[in-house]
Amino acid sequence: MSAPRLPAVHGTPQLTVDIRRKLDRFTLQVSWCAQGRATGIFGPSGAGKTTLLEAIAGLDRRAQGVIRLDQTTAGDVVEAPSAAFWLDSARGVCLPTEQRGIGYVPQDGLLFPHFDVRRNLLAGARRASEQGVDIANLFDSVTDLLELRPLLRRPAPDLSGGERQRVALGRALMSGPRILLLDEPLASLDLGLRRRILPLLVRVRDEMRIPLLFVSHEPTEVQALCDDVLVLDRGQVVAEGPTHEVLTKPEVFPLAAARRYETVLEVTVLAPAPRHSSGPAVADREDGASVVFAGTDIALWTPPPHAAPGTRLWVGIPADDVILARDPPTLLSARNRIPAVVHSIEAVDGRLLIRARVSARTPPIAVLLTHAAREELALRPGDDVYLIIKANACALYEQA
Amino acid sequence: MPDATTIDALLLTLRVAAIATGMVMLPGTALAYLLARAQFPGKALVSALAGLPLVVPPTAVGYLLLQALARDGILGRDRLGFDPDILLTWKAAVLASAVMAVPLVVRTARIAFESVDPRLESMARTLGKRPTTVFLTITLPLAARGLLAAGILGFTRAVGEFGATVTIAGNIPGRTQTLASAIFSAQQTGDTRHVFALLVLSLGIGLFAILASEALIQRAPRQGRTR
Repeated sequence: MSAPRLPAVHGTPQLTVDIRRKLDRFTLQVSWCAQGRATGIFGPSGAGKTTLLEAIAGLDRRAQGVIRLDQTTAGDVVEAPSAAFWLDSARGVCLPTEQRGIGYVPQDGLLFPHFDVRRNLLAGARRASEQGVDIANLFDSVTDLLELRPLLRRPAPDLSGGERQRVALGRALMSGPRILLLDEPLASLDLGLRRRILPLLVRVRDEMRIPLLFVSHEPTEVQALCDDVLVLDRGQVVAEGPTHEVLTKPEVFPLAAARRYETVLEVTVLAPAPRHSSGPAVADREDGASVVFAGTDIALWTPPPHAAPGTRLWVGIPADDVILARDPPTLLSARNRIPAVVHSIEAVDGRLLIRARVSARTPPIAVLLTHAAREELALRPGDDVYLIIKANACALYEQA
Repeated sequence: MPDATTIDALLLTLRVAAIATGMVMLPGTALAYLLARAQFPGKALVSALAGLPLVVPPTAVGYLLLQALARDGILGRDRLGFDPDILLTWKAAVLASAVMAVPLVVRTARIAFESVDPRLESMARTLGKRPTTVFLTITLPLAARGLLAAGILGFTRAVGEFGATVTIAGNIPGRTQTLASAIFSAQQTGDTRHVFALLVLSLGIGLFAILASEALIQRAPRQGRTR
């Protein structure tokens, strides 16, 4: 599939936000700079994430401070022309939403109910065509990318939740945005659907080359999609930086592990191994394993993937479901016994969060242990361990 | 067969109601939009004034209009510098019907606009649409059903208008006599056959208006929020 590119004048934009906004129970205060293909805005419900996104979109006009989008070429910030300022309270600048060149996808899609899918997709296409984008070409790419072709004639109110969110995403992409703002686009969907739409978002990230801001309270989604993350709690920035690092920081982890924390890693689907191979027995974890961690040859057993061999997808490894062993275990029903090195040990909420690396190219895997377990194993950073993980405890995120 | 004055009354009624509705719809819709979306000082008072004709006796409205249109009134010859020549003409019937239709039109249209999710308008703006484009392509089509209902309510109110009309337009057969005032006259003179003919016509108009509105509403775009 040929990915449509927006005009080359747009390099990677850099979004600078330095705002204050009084809310009912606290003041949202964010001083932050986002650059890169995908940045998460993570935090519990009511942390101010949506307000921040609405301030960036210009839908919330009571924020005070500065918001600017600068184009960069070859990594250098271009001298900002005044048009790059979306908000500059000191100079009385607050650019109207329609002049900011954003694409916005809210939780409930907000499709225009009096249009069919096709007209919804084309609702903002005029702006894209004014930028010199070939609309017919873009329309084909977007409908293919998001698999919208069978839906084009359906009235918007007849769509299911997943279809609606895909159309909302397509409509934003069709408007030729310089930046995509996604406000919990998966939150209204059930878990199964979320797992299937998440890879579409990753495809959008990789093929459309539009930087995206992704608001979510789901650490799983943030890990799969975002290189960097900003963590908000009660209006304050708690942490920011590379996603896997930030989410496992002691001050962030309790927010991320409110329910169940899983480490989400990119994996590549393996060709199915012959079931009854007559050859010599290879190491048992190689035999019949379904995926390898991306960029490595470390195999992992998971529930059988639907995707073809070679496909990249994501696996979620729940921190509660990993067992650490000092010695290579034998005769164990758990399929995965992966050698790893303890990267860090930190006390979080009365338990210990261990991060263990299976390779230099794979982000550390989070494991939750009791203090007693750690004492018995006498674990220290740098120690060699085995990660014991049931194949069925791993969740695969792929399109069905 | 109805006689000539009955036909005259019917045609005049339809003409007066149509013109009165036409006069009220544009400013009424604009006012309704402001009341639904804008915040401004005195909004509650404006809203109350627009609703007033609904709650005061029509004859009182007629009397106020009569005062305004009198030679020294605010719409009279002395003030305007020319004679608008409205009193006791069909134009007075239009004016009376229009004023009496304002509350129904404004209220119904306001509800129509309020039922359009403002987030849909915000969404359209993120797609680069200017506020006027948003109004014409999103707000107006989504409010269309309610605006249609407003127009039909205004029209039927104008058809039935009697008190204010008779006060400033009179009840002159062939000139200012509408169906409503014709029924009153026929009933006063005990002409039951005439009353009956007029009743049939009135019921016919009412039924037609209801059926037409139902049919239009069926074809109008679906309104409401997406699931």
